[in-house]
This record gives sequence, C-alpha cells and structure tokens, in this order.
Amino acid sequence: MFNEDEMILEARHVTRRFPASGGRSLLACNDVNLKMYKGKTLGLVGESGCGKSTFMRFLVSLDKPTEGEILYHGRDITRLKGEELRQNRQNIQMVFQDPSGSFNPKMRVRDIICEPLMNYNRIKASEKDKVAREFLRMVDLPEEFADRYPHNMSGGQRQRVAIARAIALEPEIIVMDEATCALDVSVQKTIIELIVGLQKKKNITIGFIAHDLGLIQSFAHQIAVMYLGNIVEVLPGDEIDKNARHPYTQALLGAIFDLNMDFTKKIESIESEAPSPLDVPPGCPFQDRCDCKSDRCCKDHPKLIELEPGHQVACHKYDRP
Amino acid sequence: MALLEIKNADISYGSNLIVKDFSLTMEEGSICSIVGESGSGKTTVIRAVLGLLAGGGAVTKGDILFDGHSLLSKTAEEWRKLRGTEISMIFQDSGAMMNPTRKIGSSYVEYIRTHEKDISKQDAWNKAVRMLERMRLPSGDNIMRSYPFQLSGGMRQRVGIAMGMTYEPRLLLADEPTSALDVTTQAQIIRQFMDLKDEYGTSIIIVTHNLGVAAYMSDDLIVMKDGVIEDHGNRDYILHQSDNPYTKMLLEAVPSLGGVRYV
Repeated sequence: MFNEDEMILEARHVTRRFPASGGRSLLACNDVNLKMYKGKTLGLVGESGCGKSTFMRFLVSLDKPTEGEILYHGRDITRLKGEELRQNRQNIQMVFQDPSGSFNPKMRVRDIICEPLMNYNRIKASEKDKVAREFLRMVDLPEEFADRYPHNMSGGQRQRVAIARAIALEPEIIVMDEATCALDVSVQKTIIELIVGLQKKKNITIGFIAHDLGLIQSFAHQIAVMYLGNIVEVLPGDEIDKNARHPYTQALLGAIFDLNMDFTKKIESIESEAPSPLDVPPGCPFQDRCDCKSDRCCKDHPKLIELEPGHQVACHKYDRP
Repeated sequence: MALLEIKNADISYGSNLIVKDFSLTMEEGSICSIVGESGSGKTTVIRAVLGLLAGGGAVTKGDILFDGHSLLSKTAEEWRKLRGTEISMIFQDSGAMMNPTRKIGSSYVEYIRTHEKDISKQDAWNKAVRMLERMRLPSGDNIMRSYPFQLSGGMRQRVGIAMGMTYEPRLLLADEPTSALDVTTQAQIIRQFMDLKDEYGTSIIIVTHNLGVAAYMSDDLIVMKDGVIEDHGNRDYILHQSDNPYTKMLLEAVPSLGGVRYV
C-alpha cells in the first residue's frame, strides 16, 4: 500500500542499551526496523517504558543508538557530526508532550516561533514580527498572540505555538511525542484536525507517539505497536480495529473504553504489568502476559514476518514453518 | 434516605464564585461521574464534599448532607472521625500523596494508627498487608518495604485505593484516578473500582475527563462547564438522548475505534 520510492526514512536494526547499576544493561530498543513515507503518519503505540520515546529521539538526533543505522534519504543520520548535524536538524523537528516545559518562559511567542529561523539565518530580525504573525495564522491563533508569553495561554494554545515552531523550518518530518495527551478531549480533537490539515497542505511526514489506539487510528497511515523495546506488529492504520493479530495489540484494543462499546460486558485487561527492561526474558518478550503461550515462546525470539503487504507481526502463532 | 445530597451549593475561593448552584443526590451503592473540561470546577465539588477546599475555599450557599446530616457545620474533631472511615478520597497520583522519604509501610501504619488508637504496630502492619493483597497487589510485605518511587504508577494507584478502602468507607471520591496511567493499567484499575462497588457496596463519585470511562462505570453522569451543571442524567440519556450542544460536542470529540478517520 506504500510506494517504496516515497520512503524517506528507514531505521535498520536499531538497538539502544543504557548502562545500569551492577554491570547490567537496560535494553530500551531491540532491533527496531521501521520505515517512514513521504506525507504519511507513522503512529507508535505502547505502554510507558516500552522505548517508543527513546526511538523517536534518535530521529531528531537527541540520542544515538548503540547499534544499527537510521537512513534519511539514504544517509545515516546517527553518524553525523558538527555543522553537518546542525544542518540536518532543519529537516526533522519535534513537538513535545508538555509545551510549557519546552518553551523559555521569558521569551515572547514571536521569539519562540522565529528562533529556529534566526538560528539558520533564514530571516532578518526586522522580519520577525511579520513571519510570526503568518505562522500564528497558520495554526489558527490570533495574530496578537505574537506579544504574549507562554504562561498567558491555555494548554491547547501553547501546543499550537509548539506546532508553529516545529513547522517554521518547513521540515520534511515532524516527531510528536504524545503531543495531545495533556489536553482535554475537545481540545485534542481540534489539534489533531490542525495537524492533519497541515500535513495535507505541506506534505509533512509525521511520527506520532501515543498510548491511545482510538486516537492514533483516526489519523495514522501506519501503526507500529511496541512492547518492551520490540516492535511486535506493524499494520495499516485503517485495519487496527478489524485486523490486529498480535495478542498484545488485541489486549490494547480490549482495554479501550469506547462510547460505542457494550457496557454490560466486563472490560478485558491483561492483569500483570510489563516485566522490567533490565531483565528481559529469553524468547518472546510478551510470554508472561500472553494467553496462548507455548514452549517455543520461552525459547525463540519471534521475528517480524509479513502476513500481507504492509502488515507484519512478531508472534509464533503466525509463524508456521 | 440518600447517602449524599448536595443542595444548590455555591462554592467560592475568596470573592471568586467557582461553582454555582450545584445539586446532586446519590443513593447507597451507586456510581456517579462528573465530567467536563479542565477548569470546569469538577475537582472543587468533590473536595468540598470532603471539606478539603484549598486556599480559603468555602461553600457559600446551599448545603451538603451526608446520611442526612450537614457536613458544613462539622468541627475539626468530627471531620477526623469521618475522613478515611466513612468518606475517603483517591487522588490522580497517589505517589504524590505519600511522603517520598518514608516507606509505604511507615505511612500506612501511621494512617491505621491514627484511626485506631489502640492497635499495635505489628497488627497495623498485618492489617495493611492483608489490605494490599486484597487489592491484588502480590507480596504486600515487599510493597510495605518500598518507597513510593520504587513502584510503578499502577501499583502506586493500587496502594492509594488500598489505603482509601481500609475502613470500607461508604463513599469513595476519586479524582482522575486513571488519567496518569496507561490504557492497560487504566482498565485494571477501573475494573477494581467496579469490584469495590459489588463487594463492599461502596458508592463512588469519580471525576474524569474520559467520557468512555465515565460511561462504562457510572449509573449517573454530570456534565459540568464553567462551574455549572450543563447536563445531568443516566448513561443512556447522556449518550443517546441528550440534545445539549455541549454534551454532544464532548461526545463527538472522543476518539473511537472505527470512528472518524481524517486521512
């Protein structure tokens, strides 16, 4: 369903280990392989601590993987240094979960939005006001907001400013780390509509982190489900409710409180919690919480196998030799 | 007689009127949820029920009756008897409620010994462990010996529920108990709340912005906006029959599986 020519970013065998006390290591990402396509959204879903933010931080070069490479237009961005790295940052920008934490409280909105442009000498100081107003219009905020400080705005308005700052450099990819989870549902909806509108207008590729499958399926072209550092399923966004195969994806779906659900039915949830990434069991990472565990799950680590084009799953149930 | 009755209450912080003319009647063993956007006054309402209004907040008009008796005229001593035994509260992050420099056990034992003056430390400890295990926290002893930051968000929330349920209160107030949790943990905690109602007959008021959770749990839903009750009714009414534009707007904004797709 995706045109391979339009692939602009590919992560290959990305692994990240953090050193931990006692000579152990914490495995945050384990052999992650993902592709991002021009103008499409990749949704990355999983519980907290599963490594989804760690992975997205590699894309914006805030961290480097221990092993593996990330190819952006065929060039490995994990090995960039100095001026080359600085120039590359223009292509991939980020929107954080809590915008107030990522703004300097002493800067006005005008300076916040124009700072990236000033950094790369794209505009002159005298043009700042005009440019800021233009971007504020683009994210549906009144132009007068250019004079405000971050604390004078609501959470939704701040998130719009964060989006304006991220699109200022006209990047090809924007990474959004739970960009709407601190907001009310009604505000969340308008922000999603804004993001989708901007994506269509500017053909931006989006990497979106979320833990709400209901939200992500409303606008993602492809969804990757992550568990304990491993990608367990990748599937097209419109198939998640009908075609999810991995037991973990199904458990996530079962835990959603939906307004159209059958309210008399007991809510299903996996009872235990995810094991610590410090001692990941050999074999399948999900074995301890899985209902259909077999002997093989304790020994072999399941590999992602392709069920149909665009749909991969890492589970021994579907891996029949 | 209704368990809890709030009669046309106005709540103000200083000279700012925050909640206007709020009324609510709750029967024993029912679950009621208050939904609304942030800043709509939902937390203020349940804090008022427990007499915990922050920063000079007060009920300026109307009355709050628990079991037929007004809560507003209670003395500090009477409140101490009521809180934790008859009415208790669970916060958004139970970890923030506990002293970070003390182990769970130390806080929990103190909590029990405040309510039961003549219980020995050992008995209080055992009682706490039993309670933790009843709330499906395996190895309660281990948890008692941990600091709050050593537990995951879901476990901390369970400790909060265990503490709140120690004396099997008749009314449990929950302020966004699952908003900080993952979807899977949220489902576990919500199921636990439903079990509390079935096992102990506890009435629950839950404040949430997640309409899905609210609809799943409650018999009664209250929609608040700018400190006023915008809409009120049972689940079927709120989800399907109400023509209140604000309720409809909130319902439409909830992302739903197989619902709107923007792409």
